[in-house]
Formats: sequence, C-alpha cells, structure tokens
Amino acid sequence: MSAAAARPAADPRPGWRDRRELVLVAVTAASAGAVGIVNPGFLTVENLRFVALNSVVLSIVALGQTLVIAMRGIDLSVAPLMGLSAMVCGLLAQTHGLPLWGAVGVALAIGLALGTLNGVLVAALNIPPIITTLGTYSLFGGLTFLYSDGTQVDQVPPAYAAFGNAGPLGLPVPTPVLVLLLVTAACWFALGHSRFGRAVLAVGNNAAAAYNAGLRVAVIRIQVYALSGLLACLGGLVFVCYTGSATVTTGTGDHVELQSIAVALVGGTLIAGGRANVLGTVLASLFLSTVLTALVFLQVPPIWYSAGEGLMILVAVRGGTRRAAGRA
Amino acid sequence: MSAQRDADSAMPGFYAAQGIRKSYGAIQVLKGISLDLKPGRMVTIMGENGAGKSTLFKILAGQVPPTGGTLRLAGAPVALASPSAAHARGIYLVPQEPALLPELSVAETMFVGALPTRGGPLGRRVDWAAMRARARAALDALELPIDVDRPARTLSIAQQQQVECAKALLRGCRIILFDEPTSPLTSHEVEHLFSIMRRLKADGCTLSFISHRMDEVLEISDEIAVLRDGVLVDVVARPSFDRARLLSRMVGRPLKAVPRRAASNARDEVALEVRGLSDGLRFADVGFSLRRGEVLGLAGLVGAGRTEIAETVFGVRPAAAGEVRLGGAVVTGLDCHAMIRRGLVYVPEDRARHGAVLPMTITENVTSGLLDRVRRRAGLLSARDEARISAAAVRDFRVRCAGLDQPLRELSGGNQQKVVFAKWMTTGPRVAILDEPTRGVDVGAKEDIYEMIDAMARDGMALLVISSESEELVRLCDRILSIYEGRVVAELSGADISPAAVARSYLTAAAPSGGVAA
Ligand SMILES: Nc1ncnc2c1ncn2[C@@H]1O[C@H](COP(=O)(O)OP(=O)(O)OP(=O)(O)O)[C@@H](O)[C@H]1O
Ligand SMILES: [Mg+2]
Repeated sequence: MSAAAARPAADPRPGWRDRRELVLVAVTAASAGAVGIVNPGFLTVENLRFVALNSVVLSIVALGQTLVIAMRGIDLSVAPLMGLSAMVCGLLAQTHGLPLWGAVGVALAIGLALGTLNGVLVAALNIPPIITTLGTYSLFGGLTFLYSDGTQVDQVPPAYAAFGNAGPLGLPVPTPVLVLLLVTAACWFALGHSRFGRAVLAVGNNAAAAYNAGLRVAVIRIQVYALSGLLACLGGLVFVCYTGSATVTTGTGDHVELQSIAVALVGGTLIAGGRANVLGTVLASLFLSTVLTALVFLQVPPIWYSAGEGLMILVAVRGGTRRAAGRA
Repeated sequence: MSAQRDADSAMPGFYAAQGIRKSYGAIQVLKGISLDLKPGRMVTIMGENGAGKSTLFKILAGQVPPTGGTLRLAGAPVALASPSAAHARGIYLVPQEPALLPELSVAETMFVGALPTRGGPLGRRVDWAAMRARARAALDALELPIDVDRPARTLSIAQQQQVECAKALLRGCRIILFDEPTSPLTSHEVEHLFSIMRRLKADGCTLSFISHRMDEVLEISDEIAVLRDGVLVDVVARPSFDRARLLSRMVGRPLKAVPRRAASNARDEVALEVRGLSDGLRFADVGFSLRRGEVLGLAGLVGAGRTEIAETVFGVRPAAAGEVRLGGAVVTGLDCHAMIRRGLVYVPEDRARHGAVLPMTITENVTSGLLDRVRRRAGLLSARDEARISAAAVRDFRVRCAGLDQPLRELSGGNQQKVVFAKWMTTGPRVAILDEPTRGVDVGAKEDIYEMIDAMARDGMALLVISSESEELVRLCDRILSIYEGRVVAELSGADISPAAVARSYLTAAAPSGGVAA
C-alpha cells in the first residue's frame, strides 16, 4: 500500500482510532465513577440496574433511527409513535385485559403500518424526510390524543409488569434487556453482513449511484422507515410494561426523537449517511441514561437536562463533520 | 440488404434503438434516433456538448425512460424499467461522472446491488472474502493495481473510472456503454483502456463509446455516429472515416485549426513566484515563476502530483516547506479565501466534487464567485446585474442551456464544466490556475476556450494550465514544466515545444539522468 493510501479502510473493519465503542465505555464508566465519589448512592446495584433499564427503551427506538440516518434520512415521528404504541397497548390491557402476546401483535402492527406510511410519503411522493416526519409527528400525536380520550394508563396487568421488569424463566436478566440484545444483534448483522443492510448504506452514500447500480432505492427507503416505526412501537410497548404508565406526552415529553438522533450520532453514525455504528448507538444510550440519572443525583434542576442533550448533539455532529471534511 | 439486417438483428448482443425520442418539458433532446449496436463492434458517438449523447446512453441503459421509440435486443422489443432491468439483460453503462459511494470499500462499491452471499447459521450473509477475492481478480484482469480495501473516497477520478470498467465485467454484462471514459485519463491510461476494449471486442462484446477526442475515436472505432441537436446526422463505418467531414457534421460549421499560439504576451512583471515548495508527501522542491500575460503549462502523467501542487499553491493543502509569492507578497499558508481576494483562482478538474453546485441555477453558479466581493462592498448584486453577468458568461463560453434559470444538474457534462470555468473567470483574477480546463468539452467549444485563454493572457492575466493532453499544452503555453513523481524534471519553451517533446519530457524522466531541474 502506498503512502497516499495510508488511510485505513472504513468498512467493514474500522481501525482502532475509529472505535467509538471503547471511548463510549470509558467515558460512561468514568462519569459513573465520578458521580459515585460525590454521591455513593449512584453506584448501588439498584441504581445501576435502573440506569441500564432506563436506556433500553431509548436504545430500541434509536436503533431504528440509526438505520434511517445511515440511509441519509431522519425520522422525527418515532417519539409520538412510541407514545401511541404505549397508550394503545396499555389501555387495551388495562380496560380490555388484552393478553401480552396480543399487545405485541398490536404494537408491531401499528409500527409497521405507520412506519410504512412515512416511507411511502418519503419514497413515492418524494417529500423530504424531515418535512414528512414532522407532519406525521403531529398526526401520530393526534391519534394518541384521540384514542386516549382523556384517560391514561396507570396500571398494567401483572404479566405486563413481569415482562417489563423480571427475567424470563427466572433468569436474573430483565426481559427488556434480552429484547434489546436481540434487536441489537439483528441490526448489527443486518447493517454489517446482510444484503439489505449494505444496500441501506449504499443508498446513504449516494442514492443516485445506488439506483444506477441496480438497487431498488424506493423499496429500501420504505422498508427502513417501516423498521424504524416497528422499533419505535416495540420501544413503546416495553416502556408501558416497564413503567406501568402511559400518557399523551409519553415519548414526545422526553423528546425521544432528539434523544434518538443524538445517541445515534454520538454512537458514530454519520449524519450525512453511509456509515452506521449499531453498538455505538446502544452504548451512547447507556451514556445518556447515566448522565441524565447523574444529574438527578447531583440535584441539577431538570431545566438543564435538555441543554445537556443539546450539547451532546452538537459535539457529536461536530465530530462527524470534521471527519467528513477530512475526506481526501 | 434489409433481409441481411433482419438476420443480423436477431443475433444475441445485437442491440438496436428505433426512433428513440426524449423530451424534457418543451425541450426535445432526442428527435428520433435509430442506431444499431452489434456484437464484436465498437460504435462511437460524437457530438457537441448538449447534443444528447449521454441522454441516449441513459435511455439505452434503463436510467431514463424514453418519450417514444423502441429498444430491441436480439430482435425482440425490450422495456427497461430500471438500471437493474438493464443489468439483468447484460447492459451496463459506465457513467460520465463515476458515481462514488465514499464510505464503502472499493470492493463493495463494485458489488453494490449484487453482493455475493453465503449461507450461515443466521441466514444468508454477505461473503466478504469471496467479494474481495473476486473484486481483486477483476481488477487484476485489467491490470489495475488498486487496493480493494481502500475507502472509495480515496480514489482519483482515473481510478474511479477504471473501477467502473471492472464493475461492468464483474456483472457479466456483454453490452457495455462508456460515456466519455477517456476524458479524465492520460494518453498512457487511454491506451490501457483501449487494450481492454479490444479484448472485449475480440470476445464478442457489444461496445459503444462517447468521446470528444478525434484521434482516439479514429483509432478505436468500427463505426462513428454523429449526433447534432438530438438528430443522428451521420453514421460512417471504417474505413471511410474522414476527420474533416466528421468535424463539420458535428459542429455544422467549418472549424479553423490553430496548432500553436502565435506570440507570447508575457510581460516582465512577475505575478506568481513559487520557491522550493513541498507538501512532504506527493511533491518536493517545486519552483517556478509566472509572469503577467504568460501561460505556463504543467505536463505529466495523472498522479504525477500536478493537482497537488496547484492545490498547495492555492492554499487548500498545507505546504511543508517553501514559499509562494503573489505579486511580490509572501502568501504561503494563507487559506483559499484570502488567495481569491488577492486575485488568485483555481479552477479544479473534478467539477462534481468541487465548484459546481448542481441544484442551483446557472446564474447562481456563475455569480457565486462574486458574492464575497459584493458583501465586502456592503452592497447587493441586483438581479439585473446577475442576469447580465451570467448571460455574458453563457454567450462567451457557448453554454448550451434552456435558460439562465436552468439548474446546473440539467446541463450536459461539458456544459457544466463551462459554467464552472465561467464562474471563476467572472471574478477577474490576476492569476488563474486551470486544472484540465477542457475536460469533457467538445471540439468546437474547446477552441473557444483556448481563444478566451489567449485573450485573458493578452489582458495581462497570468495562467498556469494543467493538462493531460499534450496538444492542448502545445496550443496554449509559452513555457511547459514537466512533472514526474512530484518533481520538475524538464522545462520546455519557445520552439522546443511540440506534442512529441512534451510526452518525451516526462516519459524519459524515469531514467536517472533524464531530468533537468528548472
Ligand atoms: N433532467 C434534465 N432536464 C432538462 N434538460 C436536460 C436534463 N438532462 C439533460 N438535459 C438537456 O439535454 C441536453 C442533452 O444533454 P446530454 O447530457 O445528453 O448531452 P451530451 O451530448 O452528453 O453532452 P456532453 O458532451 O456535454 O456530455 C442538454 O441540453 C441538457 O441541458
Ligand atoms: Mg454527456
């Protein structure tokens, strides 16, 4: 290899300097340790378990967002979709005793249908994704409002609560963590090693070139938005099981759309598309959850929380553009 | 005759266009083209910028639907709904602007849309090992020494083009259309490409090719089709090629040939002086001085470091050592904005990546170079001024367009190049570095650009011209520096300048005693 080609290949095996995962693990551990010194309560098993569980819902939603951003899209509607799924599943369980497997079906069906709607608007009608999903953001939020009709979920049946908090078959690991592991493995495999995932990245690199190379770009776009919707609704279901509650502001109140974008970017996915880091997204969610919980422990007024999230996005995007600008 | 054609047209690999028409809105780009592509033959398409050559190829390759007409493959009508449909039928278009997937590896860009997979415990997965091996084999078969693991964004234009050729073969496509593959290549690389094309032809592939370079067209073609304003005005088969006739059919007017410029316009005052410049990587110890009104050429192979030298002088690449003086003042290390303010501009060779803003209109592109100046004057450019400036540019550079408000994206490749060139020239620079100024520009417009360069030199502008076409340097330059592997190895001036001398100057540089430092 000549001196001019000294830059390491980005895909499929990044060089060590590109290993965001290690940096994220180190930074997360360091922040947790630092907060622990100030307030030892932070490092108890219960609290760490809380921090981890808290990041699971965001991780699941953000993995969908990662797929979308990798394709050079954006999905703002994940927040209201997550809320809609939590509300519909929770209310059906609370008032009609819908069994858990039924709720899983309902959540996935809502996600697929509404995610596909996003995809069709973007791909077939050629509306820019930021406009499309800003529109459906309001639409899906409105659906939650209509469906809930002033009520809210404050208690779910025991099967739901068990699914949200305990491990299956008496395992010590809570089910949501296992679900996340499965979803992460699937996304990692898809983006790194499946034709579908590589096509997603090709579209993110250069949609016109991907089309000319023979990819069905419109179909891929629709599939990715459908997957994003699916994961947002899965996240909503896990949320209602885990917390036992859902209101009309679930998802949107915490700005899950921004959080999911932030963690995807912090995790190493390029805002300009074409490169994704699945594990990075999960670790960045864990980092965000650590920081947000730490702020509570440090008694920082909640008003500062979103400022912290905003700072994180800026830092992440800045890092991403610097690398993009460094291209030969 | 016609019975013979009917029999031929049923052959596999016989690809015919019949009455192909294409309109964009009210503009008719193709007005009923009928053309036969035959196995084992090379049909070349020539024509001015904007004549409709690329559009025809895109239709043949399923990238753009025709407004009317039929395509027949081996005698049977085919409808190509998408590029993948064309690939499935063995038709591949090597595009005019190679399309990069910057974050993917070279191997993967070659296989996009057709990644090899193998079974695994988790279902079918991409077979990276097989993909890399096959990519490497395809590049090796064409004797292209490109590392398949490099990110595609690190490839030069010439390499991107080469990778595209290998890609066509990889997909087993036997009808291959090349849209101006040679315009970014040097004569050496063109020979390489032609040897590949000859091999494909001998193997029975159906080939077609677009080029503005008459010499190479005469060398490689079996048939030449001339397109003018969307009409096929001439189809001639070897051996009845006739250069003068082709030219006049193409342009529709007789062309005067000016082989070498008459006299130098160089004045005494030095405009740009470069001393001992190195970037510590691609070139070292480069020095020259450029006087007002002088045209200095940089000759060399693609990859010799000429673009890197230009970029370093212009301030977009850091210099490791050396000095750049502009009108006597040291400007080394200033960024390109400062350079532009001081009257130095650089017109890059790769308009797709730098310079051209495709979604913006012609006027916006032409005047974008002026905005900085306007802002500093705290004034505004009136719409009327903008229109006047861009109308002048469109006229001077013979840009073929539907109107000044047409987005650049809709212009043909050569016309985009002219707009980028015009943009920099309207800023009225004192020193201009032109990197491959006529890449992709047709014969008629080429001569126009040469005349403009002459005129600018007469007005006292100092010009540094990088070109891979020896004839172009001979036509334009007062003096030529030959660059080999990042060093100045020879200087030619006055009567010493001839195409043969230029080519010899860098080709013999490989021998240790061959160089004479300037
Ligand atoms: N999408 C489009 N919308 C409108 N006009 C277009 C579009 N694409 C091409 N054209 C017009 O069609 C004409 C033919 O373009 P084409 O790219 O086929 O030219 P060409 O012969 O390949 O020229 P060149 O030698 O410069 O590459 C041009 O005048 C161009 O402006
Ligand atoms: Mg063209």
